[in-house]
Amino acid sequence: MPKIIGIDLGTTNSAMAVMEGGSYKVIPNLEGGNTTPSVVAVGVAELVGVPAKRQQVVNPRNTVFSIKRLMGRHFGDAEVSQLQKTMPYEIVEGKNGMACVKIEGKVYTPQEISAKILAKLKTDAEKFLGQAITEAVITVPAYFNDAQRTATKEAGQIAGLDVKRIINEPTAAALAYGLDKKKSEKIAVYDLGGGTFDVSILEIGDGVFEVKSTNGDTHLGGDDFDQRIIEWLIDEFKKEQGVDLSKDRQALQRLKDAAERAKQELSSTMETEISIPFITADASGPKHLNFKLTRAKLEQLVDDLIQKTIKPMENALKDAGLAKTDIVEVVMVGGMTRMPKVNEIVKAFFGKDPHKGINPDEVVAIGAGIQGGVLGGDVKDVLLLDVTPLTLGIETLGGVSTPLIKRNTTIPTSASQIFSTAADSQTSVEINVLQGERELAADNKSLGRFILDGMPPAPRGVPQVEVTFDLDANGILNVSAKDKASGKEQKITIQGGTGLSKDEIEKMVGDAQNHAADDKRKKEEIEARNAADNMCYTAEKSLRDAGDKVPADVKSEIEGKVKVLRDVLATASGDDLRSKTQDLSLALQKIGQAMYGQGGGQQPDSGDDKKDDKGGSDGPVEGEVVEDK
Amino acid sequence: MVNTADDVNIHKDCEAKLDELENNWKRALADYKNLQRRVEEEKTAVVDFANFVLIARLLSVLDNLEMLKTHIDDVGLKLTVKEFEQILLDEGLTGLGVNVGDTFAHETMEAVDKDGDGDDVRVVEVVRKGYKLRDKVIRPARVLVKKG
Repeated sequence: MPKIIGIDLGTTNSAMAVMEGGSYKVIPNLEGGNTTPSVVAVGVAELVGVPAKRQQVVNPRNTVFSIKRLMGRHFGDAEVSQLQKTMPYEIVEGKNGMACVKIEGKVYTPQEISAKILAKLKTDAEKFLGQAITEAVITVPAYFNDAQRTATKEAGQIAGLDVKRIINEPTAAALAYGLDKKKSEKIAVYDLGGGTFDVSILEIGDGVFEVKSTNGDTHLGGDDFDQRIIEWLIDEFKKEQGVDLSKDRQALQRLKDAAERAKQELSSTMETEISIPFITADASGPKHLNFKLTRAKLEQLVDDLIQKTIKPMENALKDAGLAKTDIVEVVMVGGMTRMPKVNEIVKAFFGKDPHKGINPDEVVAIGAGIQGGVLGGDVKDVLLLDVTPLTLGIETLGGVSTPLIKRNTTIPTSASQIFSTAADSQTSVEINVLQGERELAADNKSLGRFILDGMPPAPRGVPQVEVTFDLDANGILNVSAKDKASGKEQKITIQGGTGLSKDEIEKMVGDAQNHAADDKRKKEEIEARNAADNMCYTAEKSLRDAGDKVPADVKSEIEGKVKVLRDVLATASGDDLRSKTQDLSLALQKIGQAMYGQGGGQQPDSGDDKKDDKGGSDGPVEGEVVEDK
Repeated sequence: MVNTADDVNIHKDCEAKLDELENNWKRALADYKNLQRRVEEEKTAVVDFANFVLIARLLSVLDNLEMLKTHIDDVGLKLTVKEFEQILLDEGLTGLGVNVGDTFAHETMEAVDKDGDGDDVRVVEVVRKGYKLRDKVIRPARVLVKKG
């Protein structure tokens, strides 16, 4: 079935996405990148994207970038005269007063140049998807007028694409977050990209978006932020080494790479080291650049750039006739919104946390892809399949939470696992169904519990109880437990187990992250205790089974070690238990030695749960069902 | 049994729903098949280029070691660099062989500066060596060119 792809035709970079199996997929280009530089080299060889960028310096007059700024513009527009001064390629007046570019004597319309970018994306998408692509949804800035929209549509047609719809970039971003589901709401979209800043106020009602206002700064973006870091590095280097790097093109190139990397790193770390060995040399020998840049320092360097985005937000609100408090959702677009300070400013301005989670470089293309999916019938509804927001599992020996369905698993789904008993002759097990990310049962939410009884008495670890979780598309969870020997079965149905609010889910996930180290330690302690108990049991059983074949001294040694371990079982630390268990395990091997030649079967189990020696599909796994009292 | 108008409508609705569901099911299956094919392809690609990202990052260390070699005449250093180079060589890394005097080629080179203004574009200096990992360019050579 032919797909309709979504294309974000950007000023600096373009991206594309498609709906597949009810969810979106960003389509990488042939070079393997998720975004493609919107750069076109025209001339002998026609190049688009990274290859075009590589030869930009060689052929500046043949290499067109930021063509989006010319789309649908008249030659007389103020914006065009401005661009004429800064662009290395020639901008001329074309047919009907249209702003065009002239390369090697030939005039190209902005549509034709954009079409070359779209054609590359189309070819790469066809290769990736393994099918012909003829239809697309393309995004444009909300402030684009009719002429600019028409020009974008024409570019698509030239590239051999039937443009099913032109949608606004902020609308696409909101779609990517599924905000079209909201009844009636006002949304702000903050888009700080590589070279432009846009803020849009949208109103949504019954799945239809209306742009109430837009504002921004057409010459503010990530490149300005990089430049600030480069300037700082040049200053610092001059202070330290007395050498001016600003005239050295090779050094500048390396500074630019390092600045971009440092900026990205400081979105997740508080401090980064910028080191460029052998950046330059003078009479005294080679010189190296090595500076620490903290997040705080970076924020100070770019503070005025970030502050510059506040006024447009105020203006957009004013134009829409709204107050900050009217805005219910805030969506972030563009790579620069990864910067924590940018988030902070936006959050402080609107007084609410912006939507995050989708790659801000791809979110517009994704929204366009979703729109393409809706138009193509791939999706009636944006979210066909849901995921379970929290892990579902059962409580096992020692109060450990054992997961069966991990969080973020796409539903409907089912999972089953075999468990066993914790005590000899245990005839019933209790199944406590848990929801949550914590390691211990007590810290998770119990959704319900039931008892499977009437199991034939057997030594511990022998019975096989198959526990099955089945989570349907509506989030209804069916849990069943079946004793394989007797065929007895019990089940429970939990309705709306996942019906938690977003805040509750986030809190539960957050708690798990905060307690991760502590929980892990507690769980390891319980596991050590279980292993120790198991080892004692194995030792006693082995001694019983072997009878008087075991020499008296070995027997008393083992009995002594079992007693030592049992005495401290409830109180000792995990490390202590592990070493004592190991000790007992070594002593146990003496039974084997004494009975050498009498066949296996009684090989003492190491008792270490971590070892995957009972991972077979038939054997009980992952510890035992908690003992029924 | 007499068919009332309601029955006919319900029947129609059901048929439409059935069509829609069957259609969705086919789409999901088709998407799944395509995904399977791509996962296979990607798996092969991952195996082929498992080290691509790591090696790409190590290249700047290699640059610096080589530069160090020209400044410090030390046998130990030379042996260390050689060992490092050998490991990368074993993984399939080779130089792109870009030399001064070569005609500019965007496939293997990235121009950082130029002189002159003619049709003949030639490399006058390689400021950063280029490499390929097996047959894929992992980093183009950074060059200064002269147009004559």
